[in-house]
Amino acid sequence: MLAALEPAAHRYRFQQGARRRSSVTYLDTVDRRLRKKGLSLRYESDSDSEVLVASAPDGIDTTELGEAPVWPALAEQLPAGSVADRVGPAMWVRAVAPVVETEVVSREITARNEDDKIVARLHWQEATANGSPTLARVSLDPLRGYAADAERIARLLADSGEFVVPERSLAEVWLRHAADDEVERRPTITAGMRADVAVATALLGFLDAIERNVAGTIDDVDTEFLHDLRVAVRRSRSVLKLTGDALPERLVARGARELKWLGDATTPTRDLDVYLLELDELATRLTVGTRADLDDFATHLHWERTVARRSLVRALQSKRFERWCESWRQSLTEIVSSGGSEQSGSVEELARDRVRVAYKRVLKRANAITPDCPGERVHSLRKRAKELRYLLEMFAPVCDRKPHRAVVKNLKRVQDILGAVQDGEVQSASLRVFAERMLDRRSASAATLLAMGELSAGFAGEQRQARDELTDALPGFLGSSVHKRVTAMLP
Amino acid sequence: MKIVASYNVKGGVGKTSTAVNLAYLSAADGRRTLLWDLDPQGAATFLFRIKPRVKGGSAKLVSGTRPIEAGLKGTDYPRLDLLPADFTYRNMDIDLAHSKKLTLGTLLDGLADEYDVVFLDTPPSLSLVSENVLRAADVVLVPIIPTVLAVRTYDQLTDFVASFNGHHPTLHAFFSMTDRRKSLHRSVLTDLPQQRTGISPTAIPAASLIEQMTVRREPVPVYAPHSTATKAYRSLWTELSDLLG
Ligand SMILES: Nc1ncnc2c1ncn2[C@@H]1O[C@H](COP(=O)(O)OP(=O)(O)OP(=O)(O)O)[C@@H](O)[C@H]1O
Ligand SMILES: [Mg+2]
Repeated sequence: MLAALEPAAHRYRFQQGARRRSSVTYLDTVDRRLRKKGLSLRYESDSDSEVLVASAPDGIDTTELGEAPVWPALAEQLPAGSVADRVGPAMWVRAVAPVVETEVVSREITARNEDDKIVARLHWQEATANGSPTLARVSLDPLRGYAADAERIARLLADSGEFVVPERSLAEVWLRHAADDEVERRPTITAGMRADVAVATALLGFLDAIERNVAGTIDDVDTEFLHDLRVAVRRSRSVLKLTGDALPERLVARGARELKWLGDATTPTRDLDVYLLELDELATRLTVGTRADLDDFATHLHWERTVARRSLVRALQSKRFERWCESWRQSLTEIVSSGGSEQSGSVEELARDRVRVAYKRVLKRANAITPDCPGERVHSLRKRAKELRYLLEMFAPVCDRKPHRAVVKNLKRVQDILGAVQDGEVQSASLRVFAERMLDRRSASAATLLAMGELSAGFAGEQRQARDELTDALPGFLGSSVHKRVTAMLP
Repeated sequence: MKIVASYNVKGGVGKTSTAVNLAYLSAADGRRTLLWDLDPQGAATFLFRIKPRVKGGSAKLVSGTRPIEAGLKGTDYPRLDLLPADFTYRNMDIDLAHSKKLTLGTLLDGLADEYDVVFLDTPPSLSLVSENVLRAADVVLVPIIPTVLAVRTYDQLTDFVASFNGHHPTLHAFFSMTDRRKSLHRSVLTDLPQQRTGISPTAIPAASLIEQMTVRREPVPVYAPHSTATKAYRSLWTELSDLLG
């Protein structure tokens, strides 16, 4: 080690400190939120210290730990401190878990000048992740007021040709390795495909998403696993409903049945998740009651969630689910690898036909909306809008990109408002159900019920407001410009 | 940020040794610490193996034309920085008189985010610089060699500080270079704390280990962590740390 520093040894005296062994675990959410935001989170432990380190382009935060942390961890489960403050918002509701575990041997080397004063510290690190070749990194920390010495040392070492400036930090190298391993070659719809192959391809993609989220849902890592699983189920069901006629009838019938069963199995837990996630925000809307008034409600929600999750986990671990996944994959794969049936039209024809129909359905429902029309009409519009959205997403690869993006953006806005109208209605109704159940279980105090009543009134008010917004927003979506874009976008 | 001065109008009483060792202990205790060597002789600077030079010198520093941060040097120890001495500090009195608005206290205000404690090592004199130091300080450490004359200088200092308007630093005197074999030392050591307030129960004994600092150029706790001398400095630091809050 010191031999490598020889080129600077005539100016500085280098002194080697003790070897330190540590293990460094890099963490991220399953959807790699931290990495996407330019952050990295690592947990370093050696014989006498345990720290969490967050590094961002603009700085590094460190939090010393009293005890070994438990992974996976949600933002609020991270030890309080600057690290949690830094990565928490980026994590959102997702949990971080180990991505790569590495072993590091490090050594500090001090550089002293002619007065035997330390002017810089070199950190020599050698790191491996199970089986990968060792990576060496030397960093140079100047002491305050001695930048010129550090620069000189760096220059002397660089000129020797033995040291090069690395393109990436260790964190980047390891996380990139991990990312390479994760790239799934997911099949996508391409132009010229037969319609049945296209539909089967889309369904296979959704099946991948369902299966990818099963373990995280069973282990309750974070609430997004279940959410993503449900989205994939919903998408599959819409695709079957709107384009299932391209596939064999029996296959579609069984798929639709099993997907409905799966969807139903997931609903109660998700509804409770939504409440629990929103509880703090809901509490801020209370004007008479306080957050503490909602404690009984939170306890009740947790209790119901435990019960709901039990049946959810049972469903996900059932033979029924396992067998269906297997046969579903097999049937869809057969269609894709056969290249499709002779009678099947092209994906382009299918896209043109189905998107037009779905769009017309949305228009028809939208035209029937007035500020005071019955709630079912809004509900039905929301369903049709969702279906259109899924079709647009599914057929994106064969659509013209620019108008497609514009149509999706427009539709998304309408969907957001529709969501607000309906969530208000659903939440206000389910509050009543919760209140009744809490009374049955004698787990509700008067203060809690009053606070829940206040929330319910709040939802009703919001719903009213959202309906007005909806009436205002719809003409924008119904206009001829959108119609033109839909036409322009289709193949 | 708290300011601690090591001050006595008399020379060679242990001001620099105290400032260096206590600044070291403060940093070792986790406080971000700065030591400003205000003595143009640069003894504290020398003890940290740092060159006694500040670009622009006293004039630029005191007039505020050159930021104080530019002169800071990291010592070999974590959390401990030094603002070195410079030969031009011998003109600091004049420079301070010129810059009517700026005082040492206001100059240091700019470092409040960076440091928890600033130690000021002062030259032995009663000058505009030392008056500035006394006015800026939260605590003044006063090393006293136990003689009758030394006690009189301490009394003069107490009176001087009492004459300030507004802010008064806390004086914290302690006996320095004590020698139990000397009967005068023994009697002053027992009598004075009964007659005066603000006298520390801790005394720093005369010890060759402490003298060795000038040869080793390191704080005493670095090369003799378990010595009686280090213990004495530690107990003085504990008292000071309590005063700083
Ligand atoms: N407790 C002690 N025992 C023995 N020697 C000491 C002790 N304290 C200081 N010395 C030595 O006495 C000399 C003067 O000490 P120091 O420099 O700390 O005093 P000072 O008050 O800062 O002096 P000056 O007024 O010159 O700045 C130094 O050589 C130092 O090593
Ligand atoms: Mg001195």
